[in-house]
Amino acid sequence: MAHDLSKPYDYPFDVASEDEIRFRDAGAVDGRPAGVPSSYDEGGSTRWTPEAISEVHALAQLGRYQVRGYNTFNKQMPTFDDLTFVPATMTRLPLEGYRESCDTTTVLGGGRGLVERPLELKIPIYIASMSFGALSASAKASLGYGASKVGTMTCTGEGGMLEEEREASQRLLYQMSPARYGVDLDHLRRADALEIVVGQGAKPGTGGLLLGMKVSPRVSEMRTLPEGVDQRSTIRHPDFLGADDLAVKIEELRIATNYQVPIFIKMGATRPRFDVAVAAKAGADVVVVDGAEGGTGASPELLLNHTGIPTMSAIRAAREALDECGMSGKVSLVAAGGIRSGVDAAKCLALGADAVMIGNAAMVALGCNSPRYLEDYQALGTSPGACHHCHTGRCPVGVATQDPDLEARMNPNAGAERVARYLTAMTMEITALAKACGKSSVHNLETEDLRALSFQASAFTGVKMAGIDRAYDW
Amino acid sequence: MSNAARQTDEIVIEVGQRHIREVNQDIMAACATGRPIRVVNTLSRHNLGVGLPDNVDITFEGSVGYYCGGLNTGANITIERNCGWAAGEGMAKGHITIGGYAGMSCGAAMIGGTIHVKGDAGPRVGVAMKGGNIVVEGKIGYQSGFMAHAGRIIALGGAGESCADALWQGEVWVAGGIDSLGVDVDVIEPTPEEVAEVDAILDPLGLVDSSRNWRKLVSGQRLWYFESRDASAWLMI
Ligand code: SF4
Repeated sequence: MAHDLSKPYDYPFDVASEDEIRFRDAGAVDGRPAGVPSSYDEGGSTRWTPEAISEVHALAQLGRYQVRGYNTFNKQMPTFDDLTFVPATMTRLPLEGYRESCDTTTVLGGGRGLVERPLELKIPIYIASMSFGALSASAKASLGYGASKVGTMTCTGEGGMLEEEREASQRLLYQMSPARYGVDLDHLRRADALEIVVGQGAKPGTGGLLLGMKVSPRVSEMRTLPEGVDQRSTIRHPDFLGADDLAVKIEELRIATNYQVPIFIKMGATRPRFDVAVAAKAGADVVVVDGAEGGTGASPELLLNHTGIPTMSAIRAAREALDECGMSGKVSLVAAGGIRSGVDAAKCLALGADAVMIGNAAMVALGCNSPRYLEDYQALGTSPGACHHCHTGRCPVGVATQDPDLEARMNPNAGAERVARYLTAMTMEITALAKACGKSSVHNLETEDLRALSFQASAFTGVKMAGIDRAYDW
Repeated sequence: MSNAARQTDEIVIEVGQRHIREVNQDIMAACATGRPIRVVNTLSRHNLGVGLPDNVDITFEGSVGYYCGGLNTGANITIERNCGWAAGEGMAKGHITIGGYAGMSCGAAMIGGTIHVKGDAGPRVGVAMKGGNIVVEGKIGYQSGFMAHAGRIIALGGAGESCADALWQGEVWVAGGIDSLGVDVDVIEPTPEEVAEVDAILDPLGLVDSSRNWRKLVSGQRLWYFESRDASAWLMI
C-alpha cells in the first residue's frame, strides 16, 4: 500500500533516469524546463500587471500624473453590450420594422411650462458639449451643420459661442461653465437653451483642462487667457455654491433670457439619485447625467479611469430620483457617456433617458481614429483605432486641434455629411429596436424591454437577468 | 434719498412681494422710456435689474439680494445700501455703485465697466473677472481676485486672506494691510505711470489720494504652465 511507509513499494521495472523524469529528453527546450508554469514568462501577479508596473515607471520618471484625452480605460466598466433587448413575441405585438413608423420627436425642457421655446428635436440624440478649443473651428461647424440637417442640436462647450457654430446649428445649447469663458448677454439671448455645468463624466469634481498647445490666438482671445498657457479651469462656479444659490442663479438666467429657453444642468454621474433630485429642486428644465465613460479632450488620466459611475447605472438612479420626487415629465433627463451607436442609445432610452448626447462618437464620425496620415499617428506613438491624444493638439486627422495645417485635413462639408448620416443611421437603429419591441415612439422603450447578460449589469440597473426574469437582488 | 430730492420724471417701481419676473418686466419697460428709474421697497430681493441695457439710470432704494445688475450691458446702477452675492456678475459695460457693503463674489466674471463699493466687500471680489474695474473703498474679503483673467480690483481699505489667489492677467491693487497672499502672487511696487492709470479710475469717483501706499498684486505665472510647452512631452510613456 502506498500509505504504508514501513514497506516501500517497488516497481516491477527499473526506475527511470532523473533526466527522463524531468523531461530532459531529446525534445527538451533550452532554458525552458517543462513544468515551469506559463507565469514564468508572463507573470501571474494580479496586482503587478505589466500596466501597473509601467505606470509606476511613468510616475517615477515624470513626477506628475499622466494627462490624456479620450475616455476611461478602466476594464471594470460594464458596456451596453451587457444588456440585450427582448422584442415582442407572444405577450406583446411588434410593429413592422421595415414599414411602420415610429416617432422620434423629442421635446426637452417644456415640462414645467415655464419657457416659451422648449427644444423640439427631430431625433432623441444631440451633440455633446465639446468646446471650440478642444475641437477645431471647422469640426465645430461640421457638427452644427450635420446636426441641423437631421433636426437636432449641438452645444457650445465651455469655450464661449463660436460664430461659425451659431451659424451652422439651427439649435444651439450655450454652456456656462464655472470659468465663464466668453460669457456675453447677447450670446445667451441668441442661444436656444442654456446649460450650467457642475461637472462632467470624464472628470467629475474637477474643472476643464486645455493644454497650451491648443490655446491658440483665437482661443486665448475668446477665453481672455494669455496665449499658450495651460488652461486649468475652476470647478466651483464664481457666483453660487450650493443648490439654494443655484436656484437663484437659474432664475437670473431666466430673467436674462426673458423666460424664452430651457435651462439645463449638466453633471458628472456620481450620486445621481440625490444630485438629480437636487438639480430638479433647484429649477432645472433638463438634467444631463454624464456617466464615467464620457469622453474629454484632456484630463488627468487617473480621473478618467477612477472616478464616476457607469452611465447605465446613473440613468436608472436618475430616473428613479425624478419619479420619487414627482418630477418625471416636468424635468427632462438626458444621458451621456460611452454611447457608440443607436443600439447603445436605445438602451439608454429604455433605461429611462428622454434623450442622449454623443461626443466621442460624433468625433469618430468626423474622422477621429480614421486610418489616414499613419505617420502622424506614429509620431504620437499610436495608431488609428488606438489614438487618445487629443490633449496634444496634434490630432492626425484635424478634429481635435488648433493647428491650421492639421485642421485642413478634415473637409468640413464632408464631415457635416458624415455626422448627419451617422445620426440618421443611429436613429434608424433606435427605431428598428423600438419597433421590434412594439413601440410606436422611441420614448415608449422601457426597462421591461431589456434583459441583462451579466449579474453586474443587472445589479447596476435593476434590469432583469436574461431567462430567469428576475433582477439580481441582494 | 428723500422724496423731495427725487427727480420729477422718475419712474418708480415697487418690488415688495411681487413676482420677480413681473418686477423685471416693469424695469425693462421703464428702461425703454429713457427716464430715470427708482426701484423701491426692494426687501433685499434676488435678481433685481438683470441684463439691463445701455443708457439707463436706475436706483435701488435700500438693499438688494443676489445678482443685482448681473449681465449689465451699460446701465448706470445705484444700490443705495447693501447687496448680496455677485452684484454685477458677468457685466459687460456700465457702472454700478453700491452705497453699503457688498456680499460674496462682487463683480464675478465681469467683462467690463466699473463697480464701486463704498463699504467693505465680501469674499472672492472679482473672481474669474475678464475685464473692467472694481473699486472697494473698504476691505476686500477672502480670496479676492481668484483666477481673475483681466481687469483691476482696487481695494482702498486693505485685503483679507488669500488675496489675489491664482491670477491670470488680472491685477489686484491694495492700499492698506493684506492679511495674507494667495498662491502664485508677485507683489510689485507700481510705477508712477501705473499709479496714474489707477488714479484715472478713482478720479471720477472722487477717491484720489496721493498719500496711498499701493501694492500691486499680479500673477507670478508659476501656475500658468503645467509643465512642458512641447506637445511631445505630453505623450503617454
Ligand atoms: S484622432 Fe484626433 S480626435 Fe481622435 S483621439 Fe486622436 S487626437 Fe483625438
